[in-house]
Amino acid sequence: MKKEVITRLQRILGAPAVTEDETDLLVYECDALTLFKNKPDVVVFPQTTEQVAQIVRVANEYRIPFVPRGAGTGLSGGAVAMEGGIIIELQRMNRILSIDAENRIAVVQPGVVNIHISQAAAPYGLYYAPDPSSQMACSIGGNVSENSGGPHCLKYGMTTSHILAIEAVTPQAEIIRLGNPAGEVIGMDLVGSIVGSEGTFVIVTEITVRLLQKPRAVKTLLASFHSIEACSQSVSDVIAAGIVPSALEFVDAKTIEAVEASVYKAGYPLDAAAALLIEVDGFEEGLAETSDAIVEICRRNGAYDVRVAKDDEERARLWLGRKGAFGAMGRISPDMVTMDAVIPRTRLPEVLAEISRISERYGLPVANVFHAGDGNIHPLILFDSRVPDQVERIFAMSDDIMKLCVGVGGSLSGEHGIGYEKKEYMDMVFTDTDLDVMMQVKRVFNPDGLLNPSKIFPSRRGCTEVGPHTTTSTAEIGKHVDAILRGTR
Amino acid sequence: MTIDGVSVSKVLRPETVEELTESLKEKGAIVPVGAATQTYFGNPLRRADCAIDLTKLSRITTYNPADLTIHIQAGVTLGQLEHALMENNQFLPLDPWNGSGATLGGIVAADAQGPFRASGTIRDWIIGMTVVHADGRVSKTGGRVVKNVTGYDLARLYVGSLGTLAVIVEISLKLRARFAKTATAIAVCGSAGDARALIAAIRGCSVQPVSLEWIGTPNEVWVRFGEHPKAVEWQLKNLPTADWKMVEGPEESALWQQLRERYAGIGPALVRVVGLPSTVHEIIEEYRPAQWIAHALNGIVLMSVSNPGEIPRLRQRYRTIIERAPVEVRREIATFGLNDTEYELMKKMKATFDPQGRLNPGRHVDGERH
Repeated sequence: MKKEVITRLQRILGAPAVTEDETDLLVYECDALTLFKNKPDVVVFPQTTEQVAQIVRVANEYRIPFVPRGAGTGLSGGAVAMEGGIIIELQRMNRILSIDAENRIAVVQPGVVNIHISQAAAPYGLYYAPDPSSQMACSIGGNVSENSGGPHCLKYGMTTSHILAIEAVTPQAEIIRLGNPAGEVIGMDLVGSIVGSEGTFVIVTEITVRLLQKPRAVKTLLASFHSIEACSQSVSDVIAAGIVPSALEFVDAKTIEAVEASVYKAGYPLDAAAALLIEVDGFEEGLAETSDAIVEICRRNGAYDVRVAKDDEERARLWLGRKGAFGAMGRISPDMVTMDAVIPRTRLPEVLAEISRISERYGLPVANVFHAGDGNIHPLILFDSRVPDQVERIFAMSDDIMKLCVGVGGSLSGEHGIGYEKKEYMDMVFTDTDLDVMMQVKRVFNPDGLLNPSKIFPSRRGCTEVGPHTTTSTAEIGKHVDAILRGTR
Repeated sequence: MTIDGVSVSKVLRPETVEELTESLKEKGAIVPVGAATQTYFGNPLRRADCAIDLTKLSRITTYNPADLTIHIQAGVTLGQLEHALMENNQFLPLDPWNGSGATLGGIVAADAQGPFRASGTIRDWIIGMTVVHADGRVSKTGGRVVKNVTGYDLARLYVGSLGTLAVIVEISLKLRARFAKTATAIAVCGSAGDARALIAAIRGCSVQPVSLEWIGTPNEVWVRFGEHPKAVEWQLKNLPTADWKMVEGPEESALWQQLRERYAGIGPALVRVVGLPSTVHEIIEEYRPAQWIAHALNGIVLMSVSNPGEIPRLRQRYRTIIERAPVEVRREIATFGLNDTEYELMKKMKATFDPQGRLNPGRHVDGERH
């Protein structure tokens, strides 16, 4: 990076908020998906929207790519500077600016950790509903970019249903405000188009979120099964019965083994082939009947044990196991890749059976822990990166799993986004015209492509993304990965 | 067919997506139209060479009751959809004012709404869409599963765009099971102050209504619950004290149908004022409309305006959309009242989707400023 660029950035932010230190940059070379790495040239830490705008102005002047980043917990490589350039780290913009209990809204900066919003709203009996498994660490700005999900999105909807208004810095360095605190669409839902655009439209610098009243009563159940088929059939039957659980989560034997060996030990049954963690919430009145109906469905499908959590402590422990499952995999495997895909809920049994066959074919174990209620599967591929060829096998396996999910009418991602990881798969679900139209819309916001390049669109389109004046410094690993992906397609 | 005083001499009625694509080869200005239940909404149409009537594209392509998803063509009416869902006790949790005769394509294009919006508006139930562009290209966004972040969510742009970006041809929706029970409680309050206090008490207590309407004049408070029967009964019992009249069963459906008729009678102009739950009473007490229906949970007031000059005045304080007004009023005053940021972005969006400005000219952003 040119010295004068660094000087300019330092002048905006102060020297300590700009780092080019090689060791520092290592932290930013990937997100929570460690397969794709590329070091940025510089990382900056703005504290105000105005600073973000000034940084973007400098980036534009020198035609340097820039990438917004929150907590780095993303799982599709979305916050990685694949073309090098500037990472705009928004973690220091982490203030909750206001909570309006009467109108049930909160205004927050993008670096606020997801769970902190609910904690701040708790004294008013309110909370922020979307709850990604990483909610203890992930930032709301990242959630907005990815349109993040979480177990309770089954009943309450994804992030997009909870974002009312935003302030953002455009790739042309303008500061804009869109939406209104009522969340009412006026003309077109521009806010809704930005949510889930994976940081390729604008850099969100302030967010107005909807808060919900805490449910008066909650019941959490754990149903254990000796067969995966019986377990997944129960998921289909609960949904088909018209019950709207607030969460309906699936854990298989391998996940249970990892969780029970870890600090997230939740008391899951070690002899089960699979178990369902089911939650219903609402009013005390009628909740027992709904819960009984679920127990009945599970038992009819052969559940050998159905346990209803007695108190909040037991509930919390059951959830600890689920939310800690990804972390717990370290107990049984040195490395792991979390996959994300969606299938029609009724196709769960056959898809899980096929994934198990794919796992055997490639000799890599798969653990399944996912949001069964909306068909959002997360096969966790367990591997050891020290063993040669494992990464190649993962890509090939991932390819097969994606083809399988798309083949049954599913989609590439339910909540992690396309990012860098899945961009080559986009052709599986979209035609050239579909992608052309998406690219047109991207250009409305981000005409030069300097903001977060090399994401979402297949790389054959990449050449049209970044202007000819940019210096592209895609790292060796990125090229390697591209080659593998193309080779297996 | 005449819209906003512009008569359309040629009307095509495609029956397949291919025929629709073909019909877009027509020269000049094209007006996509469904059941025409909301043609009074939007900036005035400037010109029309050919209307494309989508009501013959009325097939339910796939309905997966166990997945709670349905895939339909844009000309399917809400009534037709509701009928199909009935046998599985499912529904689309919306009750747009324009009623069961409206097509889903029209509901999406106009972002049509009604008093039941506790679980969002149409945008929250769309999982995928297919559109035909002005140049005849066909593209889709989203997919057919209930949760999906694959690619940009372009449905968010098509919703409310009044057919000015592209012609909506197929829609995939997620559904939900019908409420085991619904019930409505109505109280007639002595004054606006009483209504305001009652609404505040309802919002402050433990009930969670699916609709909470403040309707005038006189000052009526309508509160609706939809849940497990026991939860509905508990909530009815725990409402703040007032002279409640409880209504359920067929009488309840009839009641909400009556509200639809009252809505239809609001005039001569009807605006949607976007405030906050805490400002609903300010809007009503300050502007004293002759008739209004306020969604107290959302901070939205639908109200009559007798003098169009009030609209710019309202806009100084609140975002205000003209929901229905004579064309003369809409010629003078923009429908959406977009701010500069929105205007510029939407104008660019329109230019990228329909560079020649052929789709519904004047109706949306292109008719917003003169």
